[in-house]
Amino acid sequence: MVDSKKDKRQKREEYRAALHQDDTTELPRKKFYRQRAHANPFSDHQLIYPPSPDQMDWSLMYPAYVVEDDKPADSEDTAMAAPGAETEAQSSDELVSSTEPKRLSKEVEVADIGCGFGGLLIALAPVMPDTLILGLEIRVSVTQYVVDRIKALRAQNELAPESNPNSYNNIACLRANTMKFLPNFFRKFQLSRIFICFPDPHFKARKHKQRIVSPTLNSEYAYALRPGGIVYTITDVPDLHHWMVQHFDAHRSFERVSDEDQNADPCVAIMRTETEEGKKVERHSGQKYVACFRRLEDPPFEEAEAEAEAEKKVEE
Amino acid sequence: MAVPYHVLKVCGEVVFAARGSTIYSFNSSLECISAWKCDVKPKAVTGGWGAEPSPAAEGPPAKRRRVAADQAPAVEEGQAAPESETPEKGNRRKKGSNFVQKSKPSDRPFVQGLYNTSDGCHLVAITGSDKTIWVFEHDGAGHLTQLSQRMMPKRPCSLAITSDNKTILSADKFGDVFALPLIFSEDPSDLKDVTNSPSSAAATPNTNSRSSTPTTTSKKPFQPQANEFTIHTKRNLKALENQKLSLTLKNTGKLADANFEHTLLLGHVSMLTAVLVAARGPRQYIITADRDEHIRVSRGSMSQAHIIEGFCLGHDDFVSTMSIPAGRPEILVSGGGDDDLFVWDWAAGKLLSRTNILERVQKLVPETSRIAVRHLFTCRPQEAADGPTWVFAICERVPALFCYELKEGSLHHVQTIPTPGNPLDIDYLKPVASVSAPRILLAVDPDISGDGTGRGGPSLLVLSWEPASASGGWHLASGGSQGPSGDEEKKGEQEGEDEISNQELQRILYTTETLRKTIMDDE
Ligand SMILES: C[S@@+](CC[C@H](N)C(=O)[O-])C[C@H]1O[C@@H](n2cnc3c(N)ncnc32)[C@H](O)[C@@H]1O
Repeated sequence: MVDSKKDKRQKREEYRAALHQDDTTELPRKKFYRQRAHANPFSDHQLIYPPSPDQMDWSLMYPAYVVEDDKPADSEDTAMAAPGAETEAQSSDELVSSTEPKRLSKEVEVADIGCGFGGLLIALAPVMPDTLILGLEIRVSVTQYVVDRIKALRAQNELAPESNPNSYNNIACLRANTMKFLPNFFRKFQLSRIFICFPDPHFKARKHKQRIVSPTLNSEYAYALRPGGIVYTITDVPDLHHWMVQHFDAHRSFERVSDEDQNADPCVAIMRTETEEGKKVERHSGQKYVACFRRLEDPPFEEAEAEAEAEKKVEE
Repeated sequence: MAVPYHVLKVCGEVVFAARGSTIYSFNSSLECISAWKCDVKPKAVTGGWGAEPSPAAEGPPAKRRRVAADQAPAVEEGQAAPESETPEKGNRRKKGSNFVQKSKPSDRPFVQGLYNTSDGCHLVAITGSDKTIWVFEHDGAGHLTQLSQRMMPKRPCSLAITSDNKTILSADKFGDVFALPLIFSEDPSDLKDVTNSPSSAAATPNTNSRSSTPTTTSKKPFQPQANEFTIHTKRNLKALENQKLSLTLKNTGKLADANFEHTLLLGHVSMLTAVLVAARGPRQYIITADRDEHIRVSRGSMSQAHIIEGFCLGHDDFVSTMSIPAGRPEILVSGGGDDDLFVWDWAAGKLLSRTNILERVQKLVPETSRIAVRHLFTCRPQEAADGPTWVFAICERVPALFCYELKEGSLHHVQTIPTPGNPLDIDYLKPVASVSAPRILLAVDPDISGDGTGRGGPSLLVLSWEPASASGGWHLASGGSQGPSGDEEKKGEQEGEDEISNQELQRILYTTETLRKTIMDDE
């Protein structure tokens, strides 16, 4: 048993090494990237993340958008490259550079939380060709699969640009536990869209805190989203749908998007059909439940009743 | 094993100092005034998160009785812990045994924190293993009357009291901040089921008045959420099975709800280590720190606490302590598992400076390779409004106090004061007529070696500021012999607190380093 496990691992590693050898245009095969179904979002994973968004180096993930600036790199800030941004052959020395991270001409604006095998990213790439889209996934192998997949698509495009719908330069995927580290990657109001597609249901009541939608996490989504930005949710589990609707409805930074607006949004159709989970549900002719929420403007800061306070002081 | 004082709170002329489960009060000459002993009835432990009035404040403190560990609320069982190494975890592992011979040391509800209202009229305490928040009325002369006892759903790690002295903010081990009214009526007719389910919480404006209408938890009959139609994957099928299992568990009724008003204000998916209330002009804020290096700034009003204003990001390791210096409300100092202390303009989320404190520790203990900042304490001598703003740092298991002065946005080392024990807590003693020099009160564990041999030495120390003396700076007052005195205080020694083993005591007293992550290998 141990041997076969070792065998598998070895095969997988050989396969991936071969994939990384040259600029392969061969799309990665999923079976070499399988991993256990769940990763506990509460435990301490060996995650790599920047201490703050300012220190995030996006240049390896979106090389086509790097602005070459002539400013000498003299900052003491440590830049950190994202995991999975480059091949595994890259040494860790290169991942942590001592210079200020290279700047991009744009910021990431769309996030796919728990992106799985990346179907949505790839489908969105040509629809929003000038927007940087990022998939965030907690499982290592799954992330690596998406990274390799994007790499192959980019290589294919370079060989035959005319026959490809898109350069795929605007999409990338990184490993992250979004429940803990979203603010490490995104500044306040940075995002215009957040996708939460077929999240893990965590049926057990005591596991509800593990759900990717919760009153307290919704505050973090509101932080990263600009006013007017949209959270897209889809699931095949009716009660999870109700849970998500209930919690976004109850959160005062969000309002539900009307059915009319929802149906008019091309992203909704893509989310229904292009995610891997969406396809799976389709094959089983299951139901899909969609709900979208708009990020509202923050209300004026509620200030301490200065007058009441002053009055009290007089009385004392 | 003698338990040293480990938590301090100065309240006007009165000093409160906690040792084990007992809170002692002293006058400014450290003469003991009274003692209150936390005394949880086993019933209160089993009956959900009830509020049982305790006669402990009036009667003589009862000897600790047994509390079977497996009677703790079942909700804690198997709950995914957000961290890997906490003192509680060992405790939880042992809960499996249903035969508990004797009060296990870890069941002792040690006082973990003391807080007071700005008017000095109330003292609030957290006790650790029983997850309880206690509110006392303080007569201003060192006498406490217990008003309430509330057992929280999760262990509170840090508290703050809002500037209007009406609300307690409790930051817990599972990352949530709850608001509780300071004054809590125990009249059962007043007890609405206002336990905030996560669903209603964020939407529940709590105006701190009992007439507010917090959303009531809807008690829908529990139904499995998945059915055969929704099962498209093996994974989901398995989840359905698990769910049926948990349904059975739930029907045993062990998952009790707290029967007092508490509103979920905000939360991190990480253990919270510190919570502060802060203000910029008329704007109130809540600042929270977590084990995953974050410092978060949220709006402070109960109805807007769901709005995150920003973060102070830059820590590379856990954050364990924060302080806003008096007179410098725009500044936040923070520390934790990093080598540095951080100074922030917290409202702007801007790092102003970092100061290496590891180097200071190494001058004293050269072999030190990493530190855990246990406590940062800031104060400003009242007699000099334009005087220095001091920042004191305590590093876990380092027998010294590190004194800095905050100038503009950075810390300047003033003095490293070696101490005859590991500092555990610190507070500023208000000047009294007879003493004009600024004084600091320090609780130390005299057992620096950690093997228990050093216990018994003085545990409360007074430091005074003597700038004029030859070696100007902080000095141990009267050679550190100014220990506390009084019959009450002595009595504590005979009341079973000495039963605790050294190992157990170490585990309860020194928890900061356990916040450091032990990374597991993925895949
Ligand atoms: C059921 S899959 C859906 C994948 C994809 N969105 C789709 O629709 O095909 C849910 C994914 O979320 C990921 N996930 C769960 N918790 C996460 C977290 N805290 N951070 C990032 N990803 C997470 C899981 O690893 C899993 O791949």
